[in-house]
Amino acid sequence: MELVSERISVDDYDEAMELVYERQWTDGLPVVLPTRRRVEALLEHVGRDPQECLGHVPPRGGEATIEKLAINAVMGGCLPEHFPAVLAAMDALLDPAHNLNGVLQTTHMCVSLIIVNGPITRELHFNARDGVFGNGYRANAAVGRGVRLALWNLGGAFPWNTDKATLSSPAEYAFCIAEEEQDNPWRPLHVERGCPEGSDAVTVFACEGPHSVFCYGAPEEMLHVLTDSLCGLGNNNVHVLGQTLVTLNPLNAEEFARRGWSKDDVRHYLWEHARRRLADVRACGAIHEQFRKMERDAGRYPLRYDLDNPTTRLPITARPEDIHIVVAGGRSYFAAVLPGWGGFGGFAVTRPIRRPR
Amino acid sequence: MEFLSPVWPSTTVARPPKRRPKGLQGVTIALVDDNLDAAFTTHLEALLTAEAGAKVRRLVKPSGTAPSPPGLIEEAAREADAAVVGIGL
Repeated sequence: MELVSERISVDDYDEAMELVYERQWTDGLPVVLPTRRRVEALLEHVGRDPQECLGHVPPRGGEATIEKLAINAVMGGCLPEHFPAVLAAMDALLDPAHNLNGVLQTTHMCVSLIIVNGPITRELHFNARDGVFGNGYRANAAVGRGVRLALWNLGGAFPWNTDKATLSSPAEYAFCIAEEEQDNPWRPLHVERGCPEGSDAVTVFACEGPHSVFCYGAPEEMLHVLTDSLCGLGNNNVHVLGQTLVTLNPLNAEEFARRGWSKDDVRHYLWEHARRRLADVRACGAIHEQFRKMERDAGRYPLRYDLDNPTTRLPITARPEDIHIVVAGGRSYFAAVLPGWGGFGGFAVTRPIRRPR
Repeated sequence: MEFLSPVWPSTTVARPPKRRPKGLQGVTIALVDDNLDAAFTTHLEALLTAEAGAKVRRLVKPSGTAPSPPGLIEEAAREADAAVVGIGL
């Protein structure tokens, strides 16, 4: 197999790690060394031309070739069978609709979340249940970190340099979950977004980390707390729309379904009720107003919302379908909301996972 | 032992910079309005024009959160002696 990447010779593992740190080839944690044997195993698994390029990774524009992505995936801990999910995620991230350039460099703390769907999640033991946003599962961690290292090494958005995130997020290390599809009364996310039933897919969406929502009881009670949680004044969505994500646990979803609520019913209710009066939003200050005006001028803030009338109730997204809902986590009392970046980008993009036959 | 580099070698060759203006009087400044703070950009334009004596060529970027289109960058490089390329927030 012909590979074009520079070969680095070192005496031992310790020297390799120090070199990786010295050259800023890691996110701050040690990495798995991308030896030729390990990298070739990933490339052989997917059977694609190592020099096929998925695009240029902003801001520095490194080429996302299959070879470079395999090297970074190995560094993140991926096994060959994880690699197709990494490739699908990178393909999704590079879709212009996601505005990866902006997501990687904004002052906001959003990070591109990877949501994996399909039979692959069970075969590779992705965690979709208790502790889904946390640690402890190789597939979530390796796919999540493999993608982050590819963005790091090929895009080169470093903190204090071109990554201008004011506070950033621990999700910068890895941010990958799976949706629970078996203990779930509704259609999974990727099927809602046009993928066939039973197929594998990833969806990327740039958002904040999960905000806890104490969400338990009857549908009306859960909706009451969810609507309030979605429209906090600190969220970008309240000011400049965009998209947002709600994660319901399987018990929440079951309770909704038992009372006849479809996922779309929940989505529409949240869209209609998670609103703030313009007077409240205006009290946040002039800069928020400026952003809202910018979004209105850009045609992304619908004209039907009168931005001069203090009684106008502002929505958190322009359309109900911009509220994404996934089912994941343990059967318990907590849901989560993950606000997006706003109208600037980070929008959800879904790609099928191409698994070798 | 041997491993493979995860990065691309840098191929960017820095273009020679334009000669730095000695002052702003009579100099053409490309001022990129990136839509992030139009009021401040207008204030800056007024300062550059009225107080520094510069000629300002204001170029409007379609989005404050995406790169300037190549045409805008080329226009700034072609038409101006120096540039303010954006307002950060």
